[in-house]
Amino acid sequence: MHHSQETLQETLHEIPHRPSVLHIFKIYYPDLFGGTLTVIRDICAGLKDAFASAVLVCSQSAKPRELVVNDVPVERVRSFGNLLSLPAAPTYPWRLWRKIAEHDLLALHAPFPLADLVFALGFGAKRPLVVHWHADIVTHAGLRWFIEPLMRRTLRRAKAIIVSDHVLVETTPLLREFDDKCHVVPFGIDTSGYDWPKIEPHHVNDRGRLVLACGRLVPYKGFDVLIRAAVNRKFEVWIIGEGTERPRLEQMIRELGLTDRVRLLGSVSDSERIKLMCLSDVFVMPSVTNAETFGLVQLEAMAAGRPVVNTALDTAVPRVARHGMEAITVPPGDAEKLGEAIDALIGDPERRRRMGLSARTRALTRYSATAFREGMETVYRNAVTAPCRESATAAEPPQATSWPDSVRIAAALAWSDMRHRYVRSLLGPFWMSLQMAIVVVVLGSVIGQMSNADILSRLPMLALSMTAWTFLNSVVLDATTALQNSASLIRDRALPPVIFLLQCTFRQGLFALHNACVPLLLWLVLSHHDLSHALPALPGLLLFVACTFALGLVLGAMATRYRDLKPIIESTLMLAFLASPVIWSAEMINHRATVMRLNPLTHLFAVWREPLAGGHVDPTSLVYVLVTLGLLIFASMLTLVHLRKAAFWI
Amino acid sequence: MVSISLRNVCLDYPLYGAYDFSLKRRLLSHLIREPGEMRTIRAVDDVTIEAEPGARIGLAGPNGSGKSTLLRLIAGVYPPSSGHLEVRGNIVPLLGLNAGVNLDFVAEDNIALLLRIGGRKPTRSVIDEIWAFTELETRMQRLPLRMFSSGMLMRVLFATATAFPADILLLDEWLSVVDEHFAEKAERRLQNLVSQAAIVIIASHDQPLLRRTCTSIINLDHGRIASTMTVEPPATQTFELREKRA
Repeated sequence: MHHSQETLQETLHEIPHRPSVLHIFKIYYPDLFGGTLTVIRDICAGLKDAFASAVLVCSQSAKPRELVVNDVPVERVRSFGNLLSLPAAPTYPWRLWRKIAEHDLLALHAPFPLADLVFALGFGAKRPLVVHWHADIVTHAGLRWFIEPLMRRTLRRAKAIIVSDHVLVETTPLLREFDDKCHVVPFGIDTSGYDWPKIEPHHVNDRGRLVLACGRLVPYKGFDVLIRAAVNRKFEVWIIGEGTERPRLEQMIRELGLTDRVRLLGSVSDSERIKLMCLSDVFVMPSVTNAETFGLVQLEAMAAGRPVVNTALDTAVPRVARHGMEAITVPPGDAEKLGEAIDALIGDPERRRRMGLSARTRALTRYSATAFREGMETVYRNAVTAPCRESATAAEPPQATSWPDSVRIAAALAWSDMRHRYVRSLLGPFWMSLQMAIVVVVLGSVIGQMSNADILSRLPMLALSMTAWTFLNSVVLDATTALQNSASLIRDRALPPVIFLLQCTFRQGLFALHNACVPLLLWLVLSHHDLSHALPALPGLLLFVACTFALGLVLGAMATRYRDLKPIIESTLMLAFLASPVIWSAEMINHRATVMRLNPLTHLFAVWREPLAGGHVDPTSLVYVLVTLGLLIFASMLTLVHLRKAAFWI
Repeated sequence: MVSISLRNVCLDYPLYGAYDFSLKRRLLSHLIREPGEMRTIRAVDDVTIEAEPGARIGLAGPNGSGKSTLLRLIAGVYPPSSGHLEVRGNIVPLLGLNAGVNLDFVAEDNIALLLRIGGRKPTRSVIDEIWAFTELETRMQRLPLRMFSSGMLMRVLFATATAFPADILLLDEWLSVVDEHFAEKAERRLQNLVSQAAIVIIASHDQPLLRRTCTSIINLDHGRIASTMTVEPPATQTFELREKRA
């Protein structure tokens, strides 16, 4: 017995179950080199005994779809170029969703809105998520209003947020909201490659005028500032890296006449880079925006014992290499100051040596690879071992009401609303039907005067169109006040606000059924009873109702948040009505009128009216309606997210 | 398992002024680059509460100290601005009694609707049971609530709201406008309900009520927990208070 237990333990020990981690980012080797990728690679390598890593990224090269980089399987999703600094990989969210189930832990390297989209929609809620916060979104800040809610949702559901320095939490408002989840794990560097003796001979270069910089050639790295700083100075500048800015930088170097002193070296191998770092006299990091959060390369330069010139950003950059100790820190974007700082170091070999020494010491002690690995492992382990509790938090919005319940409550409320009408008057909602019948008759006679067509045969369709229009119009208008009218139920009984928007649709649906008596009667009286067209019209009618509901949901929520929207919605609906063939029939007006063709209402009616009249739906109308519905569904999703805050608005 | 867990929960309540409800103004301020900062008030500030089954928590504090807001936060009406909030079990928030009441309807229909809102099926026997508790005449069941006095209305609403036991019961200051006789009966029922619910949180200014009902009392001040005290349930004291009331 004892023996068997031992073997069991042994086998368990032999095949340790390594939890698997999926790293989620936009790009990976071999498509690009850079700080973030180095970090991912180091995490994969450093934690390989404890975690099995995998990477899911985008790539512009189609093949191979799967490859292995440093023993780590990498899956690359096809991307069709970059759109607003994001890979245009439409299938990425889907691939991510498929992959989530295969892994025990998700590591998102933010910012990456494409993945935020997946998490914001609630996919993969069962897997623990760790967010590596590499940088805030700096470029395309105009899209913030759209991206930020997504990122907030991701962060809310994250188990832990890893930042390289605490200053990032202080300066990023979004992170401050999740202060309690943030873990500071400074990047580490494996200093074995930068062995002291090897460096010694070149430690202080006699010529003393080689300035090195390293990074992707992208605008925020500020290499243009460095190039301008080199004007009228003596030092030589070598820049390692590749990127989209290259032609511009090359042109700049030519125009400033610096071709003999400033060189773009392109991509170089790791060992080559280390050699260059050891060769150089001063390392410069001229980054100009907060997209540079840490500056792993300056850490590498420090490990190589180089003095650093960096910029005073609000990030960890001036805290890794500190002004006056390991570096000279200059204002970002200031070419003059940058040039002066470099010159000061170039001209003072003793200061260079002193700074280089303390830089090396700081890199070794403060930013060791071991500390980084241990920090990461702790965070990952905690995230994996406490997933069950977290899953309860993921289901967090503590709403006791599920979807079917919501629908049931909304239906009960709508039913009671309708009964309320009967309480006040015997005819109930039929008063409205009567009113509509009068409208139809009057409209019908007016139209009969205007055109010489047979108006009687058209009356049923006119009445039906009016019923449908009344339904759409009242659902939307009703929805704009629904939340305010039900404030007490939302705030005191904690009912989800969406119930009351559903209630509008149901209530108006019931009223529409009452109104439908008018077209039904007219049809029974006026036309030959042919039901064969009713069935093909049904799908179109369903589309119509779905669009109406989604429109009510979105506009209802928006009008509650912004009270000045209600009159705008009212008049827009009226305009849309007048510019649509709801009361006019196609023959009466030139149906090629642009306004009418652009009006979604036209097509929304066409998808069910045409088949009902025995015709065929114009494919354009169908596409138009489907696209509208798609947009509305997307907007509804966003609205549902924001409806959580509806209690504040009412 | 029923539980409530709040860890360092904060709620920043946005104060929407008249202008903040205007989309036009908001868009305009974007255009002229005048980022009108949203004014917020910290209604709940760094509150940590752990409640296991059996917990009866009283919330005390002056007006505006965040009692109701905290209850609404737990009920899921407001999303927390930061911190960790986890609630398991079915919550019955009874924060305002007259939510969802339609005065034009007869009492019976109102009861049925309120039960439906609470996710219960209104059967004849349930409604009769509720009506029996109100001690009102049977024929009044068919009268519109508009004709009821406020005290009678309160009886109906109280009886309906407390008809079913809950896992987690959130109660806000609400045992007011009824007469002496019904108040006592209501309190007995409340005690009964409280004894059935796993977790009860009551916000009230009525210190004796809190002492009788709760196992611990949290004093709130400006959204912060000012003090927490545990109430030992001495049976004699309960008696004493009962006698005083009678």
